[in-house]
Amino acid sequence: MSQNVVEMYTEEDIALLERRVKRRLAALVVLGAAAFAVCVALALLANARNAGRLELTAVIISTVAGWVCIYGGIFGVSAGKKEIGHANMLRAEPRERIGGPVTVTDERLRIRGSITVRRVEVASETGVQKVLVHENRAERLAELPVTAVYVAHGYVAAAEVER
Amino acid sequence: MKTLKNILSQLHSFALWALASVLLWGWIFGLATDTTPDKKIMIFCHVPELRDVELTMALEEDLPEGIKMVQVHPFDYVMFDTVSITRADILIVPAIDVPELGDEIVPLEGEEGAQVYDPDTGEGVLLDYITYGEEDYYLFLGANSAHLEDGAAAEMAKQLLGM
Repeated sequence: MSQNVVEMYTEEDIALLERRVKRRLAALVVLGAAAFAVCVALALLANARNAGRLELTAVIISTVAGWVCIYGGIFGVSAGKKEIGHANMLRAEPRERIGGPVTVTDERLRIRGSITVRRVEVASETGVQKVLVHENRAERLAELPVTAVYVAHGYVAAAEVER
Repeated sequence: MKTLKNILSQLHSFALWALASVLLWGWIFGLATDTTPDKKIMIFCHVPELRDVELTMALEEDLPEGIKMVQVHPFDYVMFDTVSITRADILIVPAIDVPELGDEIVPLEGEEGAQVYDPDTGEGVLLDYITYGEEDYYLFLGANSAHLEDGAAAEMAKQLLGM
C-alpha cells in the first residue's frame, strides 16, 4: 500500500479563498453603498407628510443592510482573511511528522482574534498527541484514512494517507 | 446552528448598529426636513389632540413670501427642549397657560390674544385639525419670533384664524 500526502491547503485552495474573500467584500461594499444611496434618496424626498414613514423605511433598510454587512464582514471577509493567513503560515513554516491514526474531536476552540479550530488526537507510538486543525478542514481530515500528520506550530498542515 | 451561534456572538454589534441607525437617520431626516428660522414658521399648539401633518400640509399650500416651510408641533414635542417654544412664531394655548407664558407671547392685535375656541358654544377655528379641551383657547405670536417685523407670523396667524 503506498502513501500519499494531502495538503490541508494547496495553492489552489488559497487562491480560491482569496477570490471568495474579494467577492464577499465587493458584495458587502455594493450592498452598503446601495443601502446608503437609497436612504439618502428617501431623505431628499422627505416632506411634512411623508417624513415619518420615509425615516422609518430608511432606518429599517440601513439597520438590516448594516446587520448583513456586520455578519458578512466578520464571518465572511475577516474570517476568510484569517484563514488565508493561517493557510500561508502552514505552507511556509517547518513541519513535524507525527505518525499514527488520528481522531478529529468535536472540541471547538475559538482562538481570540483569530481562527476557530478543532482538537485532533494523534495516537502516536509515544502516546496520544493533541494538535489542532482549522474548523473548515476538520471534516475533510476526519474522512481521510490518515496514517500520519504533518504539524506546523501545533496545527495540522498535511496528512499522510493510505492509497 | 453555526449561523445562529455566530449571530448570538455579535448581538451587541447588531444592537449598537440598530441604535446608531436610528440616531443617524433621525438626525439626517431632521436636517432634510428643516431650515433656518428666517425661512420657516413654527407653530406650537398646547391642545389635547393635534393633526399636525394635515395642518402643516394645508398651511404649506399658501405660504407667505420668503417662507419655505411650516412646522406644526404639539407642546409635547419639546418636552426636553423648552427653548424651542420660546422661539415659536405662533402659539395656540389654553387660557390657563397665558400667565405662565408671560413675556414669551404677544397678542396678534390689541391687548388680548385672538380666541380660537369657545367651549361654551363649541365654536372655533381649525376644528378639522385640532381637538380642543374644555377651556378657552387663544392664539398668540411668539415674542421672540423671527417673523414679527416682516409680518409673516401675523399673516400666517390670520390664515389660521380663517381656517
